[in-house]
Amino acid sequence: MNEFAVSVKDLTRTFGDFTAVDHISFNVARGEIFGFLGANGAGKTTTIRMLCGLLMPSSGMARVAGLDVYSAYEQIKQRIGYMSQKFSLYEDLTVRENIEFYGGIYGLNRRQIRQKTAELVQYLGLEKQVDQLTRSLPLGWKQRMALSAAILHDPDIIFLDEPTSGVDPVSRRNFWLLIYELADRGKTIFVTTHYMDEAEYCHRLSIMKDGRIVELDEPRRLKERYGRETMQEVFMEIVNRKGEQ
Amino acid sequence: MKRIYYLVRKEFRQILREPAYIGILFIMPVVQIILLGYAITTDVKNIKVGIVDLDQSPMSERLVEAYTRNNSFIYYGSTDDERVLIRWLDDGRISLGMVIPLHFQRDLINGRQPDVQMVLDGVDGNSAGVVAAYAAQVTVALQKEWLPKVPPLQKKAAALHITTIEPRMWYNPDLKSVNNIVPGIIATLLTMVTLLVTAMSIVREKELGTLEQLMVTPLRKGELMIGKIIPFEIAGFLLVNVSILAAGWIFGIWIVGSVWTLYLMSLIFSLSTLGVGILTSTMARTQQQAMFIAWFFMVFSLLLSGFFIPIKNMPDIIQGLTYLNPMRYFMVVIREIYLKGTPLEFLWKEGVAMLTFGVASFVLATVRFSKRIG
Repeated sequence: MNEFAVSVKDLTRTFGDFTAVDHISFNVARGEIFGFLGANGAGKTTTIRMLCGLLMPSSGMARVAGLDVYSAYEQIKQRIGYMSQKFSLYEDLTVRENIEFYGGIYGLNRRQIRQKTAELVQYLGLEKQVDQLTRSLPLGWKQRMALSAAILHDPDIIFLDEPTSGVDPVSRRNFWLLIYELADRGKTIFVTTHYMDEAEYCHRLSIMKDGRIVELDEPRRLKERYGRETMQEVFMEIVNRKGEQ
Repeated sequence: MKRIYYLVRKEFRQILREPAYIGILFIMPVVQIILLGYAITTDVKNIKVGIVDLDQSPMSERLVEAYTRNNSFIYYGSTDDERVLIRWLDDGRISLGMVIPLHFQRDLINGRQPDVQMVLDGVDGNSAGVVAAYAAQVTVALQKEWLPKVPPLQKKAAALHITTIEPRMWYNPDLKSVNNIVPGIIATLLTMVTLLVTAMSIVREKELGTLEQLMVTPLRKGELMIGKIIPFEIAGFLLVNVSILAAGWIFGIWIVGSVWTLYLMSLIFSLSTLGVGILTSTMARTQQQAMFIAWFFMVFSLLLSGFFIPIKNMPDIIQGLTYLNPMRYFMVVIREIYLKGTPLEFLWKEGVAMLTFGVASFVLATVRFSKRIG
């Protein structure tokens, strides 16, 4: 058992002739907020899907929570939380029913579900909306609720695939406060994003391009190395420079 | 097991919250039974007859009267010009034109068998066939009436011992189409819910992204499948009962056989439709696609089920094809149970056939589902 939450070596996934993820290697420490940047189609989502057991890798090694993605993907699911850019709650169920459903799916018993519901509702400040259809909530709240539902089973590692796309800046900040809280509680966060201000919040960043990882470092060090003020500028330079081949 | 319980519970909440589902479950059966029960009828009524009577004799008039008195026919008019009669037929004003030749009565009495010409509007072949049969019936009845009166025929009749066939229709004495239609509608509706709605429900979760979310939970694919099947199996069962009640109250057609046999057979039949439904969900990415694929299956199974077109009327190759269609067996079974009250021991062959298809499509669906979903 190694001490890394996620450990990847030469991970590759091809779709026919197209190589979506091309021999990537990295390690994510426990309690780390690990950011995954890259343009659309760079291979971020494919990587996350492989780590969550949704997609089989073509080759290479990957371990999540010390478990092999090829053989132990069912056990991995018990240890991870996952939230995608697609909204994952049932809009035609109430907040309470959604929590009950996901709680039940994660194997919590009735008492635990009731307790979790009370906790969550209080934490998210949804006391008044708990019996409303999820459809009627503002997007920012829905996202935070979706995250809460995805971690009902108290997983060690949380994968977030563009969790804040389409959300207003205030809600995004609230969402990140939630992420920080989780990291403080020792959770490992693996997050992809398009927002460069969010990238700055990460402990470490990897930047993907055409299926490869082209940079992997702390945001501060990346900015120093490229002599830039913001991650936005660093990102643009990396993507443009290495794009001209 | 507990996870399945939560899935089923969630599914029911969604079904009950969706007005479209309530409509499908409770309103659609009633509307379909009313509409199709009244509309789809192979009984031909109100056949308009035009007549050219060139003989104008008492016997030819008696022939015309026989038609105009018959409930199936409506007397449209007479003319002495055959061209006018043809124009009526062309215009669609009549669907049967009858030409009684000159010397009809004389030839008849002399035993020379005059030919009465019948011109039928054959655009709708089925109806034309029925009209021809009705016309023959009227004529036969009239011949029986005349036989004793006409001396030469009398002798012939005595010599021939004319055998007459008097049909007795059992199980559906009035030969009412609606008696055949209602069981057919139940089969159709059951297919619709278990095949189409199941597929749509799974694909909808694909579209929304909740399916992906479910796939990263410890929920197994088998559990997901069962959790999707149970609610729609129950919905299908409800629908069967709504249809039975609707058919009984509206048309007075109550099931003759055992309702338990019907339940059992419906359950076996829906195995195959659920299997195809799940198979459909693995092929479609969007609800529209699912709808198209499901319709494709449904139209085929309906056309080859004997619901509208009797299987015996089909070409041999097509008849062979129908054996691959589970609905064909169910259509037989449900009609037998409904109209004849046939007990289970005479229906086991159909039951075994449906079970075979059910298990096969289910296994196929499970394999594909676990490979493709997620």
